[in-house]
Amino acid sequence: TMKKVGEVVLLWLLILFIHNAAGEGYSPPGKPTNISCRSPEKETFTCWWKPGSDGGLPTTYALYYRKEGSQRVFECPDYKTAGKNSCFFSKNVTFVWVNYNITVVATNSRGRAFSDPVDIDVVYIVKPNPPEEVVVNVTEDKDWPFLQVSWKPPKMADTRSGWITLFYEVRLKLENKNKWEEVSAGQRKTLQIYSLRSGGTYEVQVRCKPDHGFWSEWSPSSRVKVPEYFPQERSMWILIVVFAAFILVIFIWMVYMNFHSVKRYLLPPVPGPKIKGIDKQFLKSGKSEDIFSSLVVSDFPPTTSNYEDFLVQYLEVYVPEERELIMDEGKDLQDDSFKTENSTCDNDSGRGSCDSHTLLTDKGGGDKEDGQQSDQEGSQAEADTKSQEEALEEELLACSHENLQSSNVSNEKEKVKSWPSLFSPLPQYSLSPVNRPNPPKTGQQHCLSDSLFTPNSMPSYFTQPGPSTRKGFRSNYWECSFDHKQSHPLHPQSAAHEHLQAQNDLNTAHVDYMGAPLDVHVLNVRPSEYVEVQRVSVEDGVLLHPVSPSQEDSRTLSHQTEDYSRVRVVNNDNGLLLLQRDAIEEEKSMCPYQEDVVSRASITPTLQNSATGINIALPILDEMAASGYIDTATMFGLPTH
Amino acid sequence: MQKTVIQWGLWVLLLWPQHLAGSTPLDCRDDQGNLSRCTSISQEKLLDRVIHHAELIYRVSEELSSLFEELFIPFPFRLQSNQAAYSCITKALPIPSSKSEVQQISDKWLLHSVLMLIQSWTEPLVYLQMTMERYDHAPDMLLNKTKWVSEKLSSLEQGVVVLIKKMLDEDTLATGYSEQGVVQNEVQPEVLESVLRDYTQLSCFKKDAHKMETFLKLLKCRQTDKYNCA
Repeated sequence: TMKKVGEVVLLWLLILFIHNAAGEGYSPPGKPTNISCRSPEKETFTCWWKPGSDGGLPTTYALYYRKEGSQRVFECPDYKTAGKNSCFFSKNVTFVWVNYNITVVATNSRGRAFSDPVDIDVVYIVKPNPPEEVVVNVTEDKDWPFLQVSWKPPKMADTRSGWITLFYEVRLKLENKNKWEEVSAGQRKTLQIYSLRSGGTYEVQVRCKPDHGFWSEWSPSSRVKVPEYFPQERSMWILIVVFAAFILVIFIWMVYMNFHSVKRYLLPPVPGPKIKGIDKQFLKSGKSEDIFSSLVVSDFPPTTSNYEDFLVQYLEVYVPEERELIMDEGKDLQDDSFKTENSTCDNDSGRGSCDSHTLLTDKGGGDKEDGQQSDQEGSQAEADTKSQEEALEEELLACSHENLQSSNVSNEKEKVKSWPSLFSPLPQYSLSPVNRPNPPKTGQQHCLSDSLFTPNSMPSYFTQPGPSTRKGFRSNYWECSFDHKQSHPLHPQSAAHEHLQAQNDLNTAHVDYMGAPLDVHVLNVRPSEYVEVQRVSVEDGVLLHPVSPSQEDSRTLSHQTEDYSRVRVVNNDNGLLLLQRDAIEEEKSMCPYQEDVVSRASITPTLQNSATGINIALPILDEMAASGYIDTATMFGLPTH
Repeated sequence: MQKTVIQWGLWVLLLWPQHLAGSTPLDCRDDQGNLSRCTSISQEKLLDRVIHHAELIYRVSEELSSLFEELFIPFPFRLQSNQAAYSCITKALPIPSSKSEVQQISDKWLLHSVLMLIQSWTEPLVYLQMTMERYDHAPDMLLNKTKWVSEKLSSLEQGVVVLIKKMLDEDTLATGYSEQGVVQNEVQPEVLESVLRDYTQLSCFKKDAHKMETFLKLLKCRQTDKYNCA
């Protein structure tokens, strides 16, 4: 057994020897690299290196250093304190603001290896320890909590004496989020953090750095939970909701209180026909005699009973296709103008007249309004669309006179969508120049609405680029009504006057049935506008536009025509019966302004020229111009006698 | 009109004290040139101001050094953050270089060390200013910073002199050590050597500024808490 043991030992030795003698890995050591040094408090420092290959042999490492300005070499005093491959410089050997030249040498039995020298100055390699005793408190401040973070400098750093000056930084995040929020705290040791999430859990960390070194590591996280509180944003929302509800309640209440006026504004009631003195119900229920008795002027039919003289002439208003579009557009504009208008009712208005802004019931209120609207906006808008040619016509009709005259209803090509309800087109009555034997004096009179000349009273479909074209308009007004006021044998109590009234404010045209001078009187008192018939369409009726009274005086003196036609009767269904006044002297006298009828010269050439579709009208115009009445460029020649 | 007059009046009133305060000279020199005791400012406040001054100087010198390095020093020659050239002019001065050393010297020596440092840099900075202007591509910021540092250093010197007077009750004259380390060279700028030399100067100055700051802070601690300080 002893021998065996000895053999085994020998064998082992042989193996070892062979192994060693094989020569693998025997080489000088590799160069140590990556020398880095750090000082935690500017009083001591440590250097680490990375060893190279050891060449298969046990290798020792040594660190040598030189201070600047001296050639004396020192060796590292302490290899152990800082761990493996390190050198620790204690306070005694540490000098600040002094350059060290450090070299690490690796030695093994085969050779030595020198690392690259490294120069350091302790001042610049300070990396302190993280701040200590980080305390995070939640502080309540009138229900708005905030975090109070406080910490202490690392123990080893002597900040108290001023040897080292540290700057701090705090970061925090919500526990389940990934994004840190960093806050700089300068040299302070406390920090307040506001705007916290209610009920959230925060992690807080602190680190520090000297004024000339590296940042420390982050301190371990301190967790804190923020209590639930009522964040301001939510309370603000609640406030907003309550406020909005309050406003809504007030609004609803206001709407409720003014329901009717709002309804009237939004959904203007459709006007019904209104004839003064005529009650719809009465018509329905009453006897025909009663009805007609009110319509009939007692003295009206002359005993000669030449009824042919009292042909009722209907105004036929014709509007060409393109006009329709225009008026449609104008309708919208005029609707806007409603806001500024007050609805006023006049005493003689029948049912529905107060509500309606227009007389027209059919074909959309807008059409009527087009005719009646004195809205300048509308007219201006229309101006854009309308060509000069299609400029105005106004017609005013219907002074109601007892004398029915055959009015030549012009079968103008132009058709105006106007009030079919008011005017019944009578095909048999066609305005033709030929049929107008009437001398100027007995010519047609046009009662124009006042608003013709006012800026506000421009009908929408009129092209009114400006006042310049206004001269094309005539305003005639219901002289008759005025005249009637004074006296007239021809207009007895039962005289029926129908005239179109347009109130400037309302831009409505009322067809009032004037029964008597009294009524007339009343009418006169009333500040009302008169309507000008702008166009007469064969089919549909007459387009009226209001004429302002204010302008009347100035204009009508010069522009008045002699002849009036008046509305004889209002047909419930379709039409307004317009009567053409005969050239009755009394009538003339009635209407004081007759004499002042303006010559047709006042008709603007533009108008004449622009009456495109009005072949018939043109001659009429000319004729009328000669005779001195027509204002409008169109259409219907009221039949003159 | 009245409003603006009132506003102007208010402004003048507000700024008046500042104007008055700013006019007091720090060194309390009277007409004869003798340093008199300054009674207008307390020692503690003065020390605070001096420390603040030194902090600023250090920060600006750090910026100046890095700016210069960025502009003129090629990469291979750039010093590591921890390096400084060996030929600092102040290396020969008997200045403590470790905390333990500092703990051993007195207030007086501390103050005098600071003064020494300051005075040894006064002229080199002026010279550096001149050389900077000769650089072709020196931006204005570089020149301005150098000028600023030079000016602030002289005012720091004044403050330290007053401090010495107050604390140590000594009369010291300025520019005691200024001959040391002043190198006057007529070498043209832009040659690498002179550039490197200027670079070294700036690095050394940066370090010395930090020394001044630290010493003054240590001094302050000693004033307030004698037994726990370094």
